[in-house]
Amino acid sequence: MEVDSENNLQRKQSFYQSTDESFEIQKEMYRGQQYSQIYFARLHLMRTLLYSLLPHWKPHVPVCTVLGLEESKECIIVGTLYKHMKLKPSILDEYSKERSSTPLVKPHNFVHADDQLVLEDESGRVKLRGAMLISSVYVTGIVVALHAKETVGGDFMVEDVLEAGLPHQEELPRNSGEDKYVVFVSGLSVGSSSSDPLQFQLLVDHITGHLGDEKEQSVAAQIVQVVIAGNSVEVPRGLLNGQNLASKDQSRLSEPIKELDILLAQIAASVPVDIMPGPKDPANFSLPQQPLHRCLFPGSAAYNIFRSCTNPHSFELDDVRFLGTSGQNIDDLEKYSEANDKLEFLERTLRWRHLAPTAPNTLGCYPFTDKDPFFIEICPHVYFVGNQDKYETRLIKGSEGQLVRLICIPRFGETGVAVVLNTRNLECHALSFGTQFGT
Amino acid sequence: MESSSTAAGGGNMKGYFRQRKKTGGITKSNSNSKSKKSSSPDHSATLASDIAKPPSLISHASLDLQDDYDGNEEVLRQFDVNMAYGPCLGMSRLDRWDRANSLGLNPPKDVERLLRVGKLRSECLWDGRV
Repeated sequence: MEVDSENNLQRKQSFYQSTDESFEIQKEMYRGQQYSQIYFARLHLMRTLLYSLLPHWKPHVPVCTVLGLEESKECIIVGTLYKHMKLKPSILDEYSKERSSTPLVKPHNFVHADDQLVLEDESGRVKLRGAMLISSVYVTGIVVALHAKETVGGDFMVEDVLEAGLPHQEELPRNSGEDKYVVFVSGLSVGSSSSDPLQFQLLVDHITGHLGDEKEQSVAAQIVQVVIAGNSVEVPRGLLNGQNLASKDQSRLSEPIKELDILLAQIAASVPVDIMPGPKDPANFSLPQQPLHRCLFPGSAAYNIFRSCTNPHSFELDDVRFLGTSGQNIDDLEKYSEANDKLEFLERTLRWRHLAPTAPNTLGCYPFTDKDPFFIEICPHVYFVGNQDKYETRLIKGSEGQLVRLICIPRFGETGVAVVLNTRNLECHALSFGTQFGT
Repeated sequence: MESSSTAAGGGNMKGYFRQRKKTGGITKSNSNSKSKKSSSPDHSATLASDIAKPPSLISHASLDLQDDYDGNEEVLRQFDVNMAYGPCLGMSRLDRWDRANSLGLNPPKDVERLLRVGKLRSECLWDGRV
């Protein structure tokens, strides 16, 4: 193949800035604290926020704490929601006398019609009732303001709910009208028996401009960033059963990550790439997951545009804010609440201003003492979640004119689909690679 | 395990009872009224002396009155159990004060002053006891 030096295509560049500092836990020291600290930080942070929103919502209704409730008097209380779920698996079920109440086949979704919502603050808890509050929408860990009245029985009859709503958003910058693309991919599952290495190689070739004619290559030259959202490797499960490994098995353990490194080095040689850890990657289990170590990627880490990032990951590209996770927060919401589609879960987390409200209740989380890093302070322009079943996207609007592109990134190892976003106008399309000849 | 039949017995029993005296010092049963007044450091340490330290249990000559429970410690303990600043276990007192300050809760300045001087216990009331 001839290389025509006058017609060399230059890749576009973007100014990248990572805003992951609050997700890094290197400075944290564990002192034996429990999760009450992070719940307190969350309650206080969001309560201050909600108190500032109350005058616009219902200025004439008095505000009080749970202990200060009086019977038959309307008031507003702010607290953390707790959902008592009948079907939620509990370690105590093993010891319970009525074994028949829990089914032997565990359901994936634990929502039940009898789920009960409770509001809690530092002074106490109160049971919530009312048709306004659909318990299948809410999960434990959200902070809301409720306008309600205490009934004779000591319950709280809810009339209205106030969520924090979308945070403030900086305006989308008008950057000279250039099309710049960001490629999102997740669930590469290198090393699994079901993922096709040819599909990933095709993706790499497309991004680096080795596929197609000049027109294709000029489109690829507009890709300024690649984001890999979790589950990039899949270690053969049979090797991880606690037995001592023979040396040939030990090399089998590291083969997937070596293969990933070779492919990533090809991408990193030509375009900035961010890699996030996912639930199946060799990173810590609890959120926020720390960046995959540089020594796992000896080839790719040589490039300074290769960045290993935390999960959740937030960054800015030419002043366009991105925020996203590898899927654990949304998958957990799916287990404990119901919605029409995954994008609705994404939208709810934004409106609740919290990335992972079920942490630490049902989602592993580091016991922070003085902050809650999952609190969303500034509204992103692009909000993504990885490792989902299919590609879905929607543009949502906030009450102050915020505009957010929600993206569900499908698992590449199963679907062969990546997502491409144009940062000029936040439009999104799918990039699908098929390797079957004929149909 | 060595055992001793008298209260004034061997080393182990003495150490055991010494620990008991400290926890006796923080029982609130007769110090409730005192805690509502503004701090009177000279009196608070002598409060529990009759109940928790009956003469038969004094294993050495002098009454173990002072420990670390004086007026300043009382101020810090009130800061520990105050609900408004959040849970106290698992954090050092100064970290908790800093957290309360950064969350805008206006924690009392004299608590900060006492903690920064550094002579008093840096861990909270319940640390090591639960």
